[in-house]
Amino acid sequence: MFFVEASSPGAQKPIELILARNLISSLSTPAFLVDEGGVLIFYNEAAGSLLGKRFEEIGKVGPEQWGSIFGPFDEQGDPIPYDELPLVISIRQGRPAHANLQVRSADGAEHEIEVSALPIVTPHGSRGGIAFFWPIADGEVRG
Amino acid sequence: MRVKLWGTRGSVPSPGPETLRYGGNTSCVQVTLSDGSLLALDSGTGIRSLGLALGDEPARLHILLTHLHLDHIQGLVFFAPAFKPQTEIVIWGPASPEASLRDRIARYISAPLSPVEVRELPCDVSFRHCPETEWEIGPAKIRAASVTHRGPTLGYRIDDGGNSLTYIPDHEPALGADIEELEEDWISGFELAHHASVLIHDCQYSDTEYPDHVGWGHSALSHTLAFARRVSAQRTLLFHHDPLHSDEFLDQLYREARERWVGDGGDPSALEMAAERAEFELPVSAPATT
Repeated sequence: MFFVEASSPGAQKPIELILARNLISSLSTPAFLVDEGGVLIFYNEAAGSLLGKRFEEIGKVGPEQWGSIFGPFDEQGDPIPYDELPLVISIRQGRPAHANLQVRSADGAEHEIEVSALPIVTPHGSRGGIAFFWPIADGEVRG
Repeated sequence: MRVKLWGTRGSVPSPGPETLRYGGNTSCVQVTLSDGSLLALDSGTGIRSLGLALGDEPARLHILLTHLHLDHIQGLVFFAPAFKPQTEIVIWGPASPEASLRDRIARYISAPLSPVEVRELPCDVSFRHCPETEWEIGPAKIRAASVTHRGPTLGYRIDDGGNSLTYIPDHEPALGADIEELEEDWISGFELAHHASVLIHDCQYSDTEYPDHVGWGHSALSHTLAFARRVSAQRTLLFHHDPLHSDEFLDQLYREARERWVGDGGDPSALEMAAERAEFELPVSAPATT
C-alpha cells in the first residue's frame, strides 16, 4: 500500500511543509499541500474559494476521502483513480505532474481546472507534495 | 547540565565600549553535561574564549552547528584545542544536497579565507550530519530539527538529568505566519522548544526594526515572546543580538520585553537578556515518584 499515515496527530510538521504552507497562504493562486503519506494537510484561501469551503471547515483529509469531497472527475464526469492524480503521481514518482481535471465545489458546481503538482524533496527524502490549481474559464482551451 | 554563554551576538562581531556588558562575540554556548561531557553550540567567535578557558587539558568535545553562516563558524580556526593533536572534536551540522558538511566548512577553512586547511588541523576532527532522529552524547539525548532561517538551519534540544536546553539562535518562525494563530504542529521549532527548561532564542530585532528585515531569518521581540509563550518554555534567554544594538539599546529592549511579558501574565524572572560570559546550572532533577 502506497499511502501511510505520515504523521501522528499533533506531530511537528517538517520545516519544508511549514514553509510551503506559509508560501501558499500568501498566494492568490489556489494551492493544496499534502504530506508524504498523501494526506491533505492544508489548502489556501484561494483554493477554499474555488471549492466553497475553507480548509478549517474540512480539516486533514486522507487520500481515500478526497474523491467524495472534491472529485476530481474526468471530462465524462467519472471519478479519476487516485493513481492518476497529479499529486499522487508526483509523490509516488518524485516528479512533476500535470493534468486537466474537474472538481466539484460545495455548492455542487463543477469547475474545470489545470493542476500542476510538484514533490517536496529534501536531503532526508520526500516530505510531501504541493499542487497549484488554475481554473479554466468557460470556452477557454488550455494545454 | 552547566551552561556558559561565550558569544551572544549575531551577524558579525561587534567589540567596543558600547557592547561591553552583553558582549561582542558571535554565537557560542558551552554545555557541560552531567557526566562532564563537553558540547559547544555553534562556533562563532565566542569559541575562541572557550578554547582558552579549556587550557591545556586534553579535550574531547562535540560542536553542534546550527548552520554555516559565518557568525556561527568563524571562531573554528581560532579555537586553540583544534591545534592540539590530543584533542578530539566531532562537528555536527545540517545536511545539504549540495555538499558534505566537511566540504562546506572547508570553504571557510581554506585559502584564501584561512591560513590553514581542514586537513592540516592536528586534532582528530570528524564531521557528521545530524540524524533526523534523537541520538545520544554521553548521558544526554540530542534532537536536531530544521527551523525557519535562510539555508539549511537546525535548532537543538538537549535533555540531560531531567532538564532540557533548547537552542534556536537564528529563527524567523513568524515569516508568512502568525505565531499566535498557528496550530502548534505548524510552528517552526515548536517540538524542540516545548516545555524546555531553558530556551535560548533569536531576538535580533525590535518590532520597529523588523519590517525592514522580513525574510532575513530572524525574530523581532514580539515573535520571540510569542514563541516562548506558545512553547511554554520555563525560562527564555533573548539571544543573537544585532551588532548595531548597544548595551543601552539592549537594556531598553529588555525593559520593553519584560513589561510585555508580565503584561501577558508571564513570570518576570523567566525572561532574560543573554549576556556574554553568563553561566547557569540546570541541576539534575530527582526522578518523579508515583
